[in-house]
Amino acid sequence: MSKHSVGEFEEIVMLTVAVLYKDAYGVAIKKDIEKRSKRSVSLGAMRTALKRLEKKGFLESEFGEVTAVRGGKRKRYYKVTPYGKKALEQVMETRKRLWDAIPELAFDI
Amino acid sequence: MIRFFRWFCDPDIVEDLEGDLTELYEERARKNIALAKTLFIRDLLLLFRPGVIRNFKGLKNLNYYPMFRNYWISAWRNLMKYKSFSVINIFSLTIGMVACMVIFLFVKDERSFDAFHEKRDKIYRLCEVQSFPGTNTQNVALSMPGMGPTMAAEFPEIEAFTRFWGFGEQLLELDDKKITIDQVVAADTNFFEIFDYQLLLGEKGEVIDQPLNAVLSEEVAMKLFNKIEAVNETFILDGQQYIITGIMENVPENSHLQFDIMLSIGSATSSRPNFDSQFGSNFLNTYFVLNEGADLNSMSERYPEYLASKMDRDDINDIYKLFLQPLKEVHLASTDIEHDYNNYRKFNGTYIGVFILVGIFILIIASLNFMNLTTARAGNRAKEVGVRKTIGAVKGQLFNQFILESILLAGLALIFAIALGFIALPFLNSLIDRQLGMMNILGDPTIIGLIVGLTIALGILAGIYPSLYLSSFKPVVVLKGFRSFEKKSIFRSSLVVVQFSLALAMIISTLVVLQQLTYMKNKDVGFNKDHILLLDMNQQAQEKYDELKQALLNESNVLGVTGSGQRLGNNFHQWGFKARVDTGVVNLTPSNVHVDPDYLDVYGIKLVAGRTFSQEYTTDDGLAFIINEAFAKELGYDNPIGQKVGHGWYPNDSLGTIIGVTEDFNFNSLHYKVNTLSMVYHSEWGFSEMSVKINGENIPQALKDIERVYAEFVTDYPISYQFLDEHFEELYKSDEQMGSVITIIAGLSIFIGCMGLFGLASISIQRRIKEVGIRKVMGASTRELMVILSKNFAIMILLSFVVASPLTFLFLSGWLENFAFRVAMNPLIFLVGGVLAMIIALATISFHVIRAANANPVKSLQYE
Repeated sequence: MSKHSVGEFEEIVMLTVAVLYKDAYGVAIKKDIEKRSKRSVSLGAMRTALKRLEKKGFLESEFGEVTAVRGGKRKRYYKVTPYGKKALEQVMETRKRLWDAIPELAFDI
Repeated sequence: MIRFFRWFCDPDIVEDLEGDLTELYEERARKNIALAKTLFIRDLLLLFRPGVIRNFKGLKNLNYYPMFRNYWISAWRNLMKYKSFSVINIFSLTIGMVACMVIFLFVKDERSFDAFHEKRDKIYRLCEVQSFPGTNTQNVALSMPGMGPTMAAEFPEIEAFTRFWGFGEQLLELDDKKITIDQVVAADTNFFEIFDYQLLLGEKGEVIDQPLNAVLSEEVAMKLFNKIEAVNETFILDGQQYIITGIMENVPENSHLQFDIMLSIGSATSSRPNFDSQFGSNFLNTYFVLNEGADLNSMSERYPEYLASKMDRDDINDIYKLFLQPLKEVHLASTDIEHDYNNYRKFNGTYIGVFILVGIFILIIASLNFMNLTTARAGNRAKEVGVRKTIGAVKGQLFNQFILESILLAGLALIFAIALGFIALPFLNSLIDRQLGMMNILGDPTIIGLIVGLTIALGILAGIYPSLYLSSFKPVVVLKGFRSFEKKSIFRSSLVVVQFSLALAMIISTLVVLQQLTYMKNKDVGFNKDHILLLDMNQQAQEKYDELKQALLNESNVLGVTGSGQRLGNNFHQWGFKARVDTGVVNLTPSNVHVDPDYLDVYGIKLVAGRTFSQEYTTDDGLAFIINEAFAKELGYDNPIGQKVGHGWYPNDSLGTIIGVTEDFNFNSLHYKVNTLSMVYHSEWGFSEMSVKINGENIPQALKDIERVYAEFVTDYPISYQFLDEHFEELYKSDEQMGSVITIIAGLSIFIGCMGLFGLASISIQRRIKEVGIRKVMGASTRELMVILSKNFAIMILLSFVVASPLTFLFLSGWLENFAFRVAMNPLIFLVGGVLAMIIALATISFHVIRAANANPVKSLQYE
């Protein structure tokens, strides 16, 4: 694995960003994660993860248009970079290899 | 809240995060606004985490360390370069700090009295104001045995009461050993529940609940039984066998009640069934525990009614007023309370205030010194400031540098002060008779913190002005040659004036205090108090009083022997007294003392009229009275001799007569006016104390003789005596100690002041060295030069004198009011103080003045 490894929570965040595609901003990501994985996520934890991922180059972000809701604050939309996609694929592949390597009888005990 | 968020949040993400927060809030608010608000705050607080918090710019990539190191080095080099200045500067601060520390320790020790009782805020001591006819009004710490139980029953505010009854020194018998114990007392069962004297063995509420129970202190237990586990052992006291039910820790030094053996009060009262309702005579201390929110004022409104219900006298509320004294005031605020027998190391609390004030004074003087010297030395640092500014230092940086330096110096002073404290304390302890320890300061982290904090604050405060001053130099002016920019500094001069005003105030106070103390020592009190030995009379000695007296009189070094019921130096007990006047018989209550017939002769008390007691008249036994002038005046007879008077309990038809009138001698301490007094002799009463007048030229031999003779007659009890003048010294201990403290502090403050002056003089004269040179060339004589150079300083001292005198006068008049017999304040004293300060100050600067005046003008002028 490379230096910039992807943690479990980070992986979920990145995948969710990918799922939401054009609509991936703070609250939306938070809600989606909460909906799918049935766990509560604090804004702070998520923000930290987003920031870290951006720093690692897995995500990139841009501001959206000003809207009337949200007290007139702009949304920051996230998007998975090709590098991020590669990292995700790598994770998946590693998992897959591991699954494949499990002997048939391992879980039958 | 949101503002806080905006403040801490990384500016890169603040906008959209705030947006997220708002969106969440709005969505939640649709359901439940209150919940949304709480959640909003929770979310916000959860955001306070690394990754979200902004980087604080100031901390970014700036390393201050090399700069600090540079400050440190230049501070250190400056210290070393001007050694004498550094020493003066640091040392004066050190002395100020030591003085403060010692005062702090002293005050802390005094304040710690009775603070270890958990119920201290609820405990009160019952006191009385007695205004008996024919005697001075007095506050008294004693109360009647019936007051405790009945007041506790009738006043709902009183939760509990306990009575404390001192018996003084007693002889214990144990098998065949006989041992005297200093302080034997009795108290009610709940004594140990009210006061927190720690019991090592035995239960609080049970130890003294039966007659003939006793609790011993550890020390006494060791002394009697050689072990601490002495419960159930017995001893004999006064012919009765006591059983030991408990052992307590030795009573701490900071307790106003002191006792070695505590008996159950039942031991003394079981033979007196009416004890709990006994009124009339006051001989024990009563303490109450009040409940929360008890209103002393409302209680005191009910006292008259209470007194009237207990004692059948029409004038009861004229002669008695009750009041409750809070426990925390017993030690420090009982100066005006008499008959205060159970108040160990009683101290005049107002002196605490004086000490604190004096401590602050000396710290101010030391800090001013520090400021003054640092500022005056600015010239030396001017070039450094110039160079630093030229290479880019800003004002703030320089300010910080000098403040840091100032804190550093204060820190150094603190270290020296602590060291000096360790050295000086043993000496001080012996002087003021205390057990103060530096560990009381260093053992307590909060106090250490406080001291360090104060030192830093002091460093900053004392450093602010010099730092501002130094950092404001303009590099161009400074580097060109700083001499030209120096001006006369009014600020510095006024600092000196403040300093010297304080020092002067203390010098004058010292002089007056010492004057008063000497006055008290030497005042003709109306009797002879030198070389008089006071011998305690125990039971055996009382029985053999006459033989013992005769044997002592046969010794060549014994000049006289007499006996008395009470000791001089305290107010004598007040008893009822009857006097027949034209209109009938009046009742009065003067002080009374019962004496041996030759009492007046031995003490050299002078009669103004009549005769002294004599064995020749049988009526002199109980029916003859000698009164003092004050009482004679009170009685109002034209000729008091031969008038019919008697003790209050004498029937009206069998009164005695007044046989003599003495001068007013000060049987009480000089804090009080001479009270009315009546003396009487009763052959069958026995004396509690024998006064032996000895030959002053051969005291050791006289003591040996007395001890030998005493041992011949009294075999059961060891001898125990005290010199009368020692006893009097104890009475003025508080005042003496205050005197020593003021003297020391005054000495120190003038010393610090002079150190400052010395430094200042050196600088200011250095600055005028060219002027001196020119004057000299022009023909000024050395003497003229000295006058010119000293003039400024003399003016400053004069100004200080003008400032200090009136304030000191006010303060001292207040202090002298404490004494009924006091010295008049002589303006001369002020003058003496002023002149003294002037001489000291001029002597201090004379070193520099003379050197400058004698200097060769060629040297000072050659570079011009």
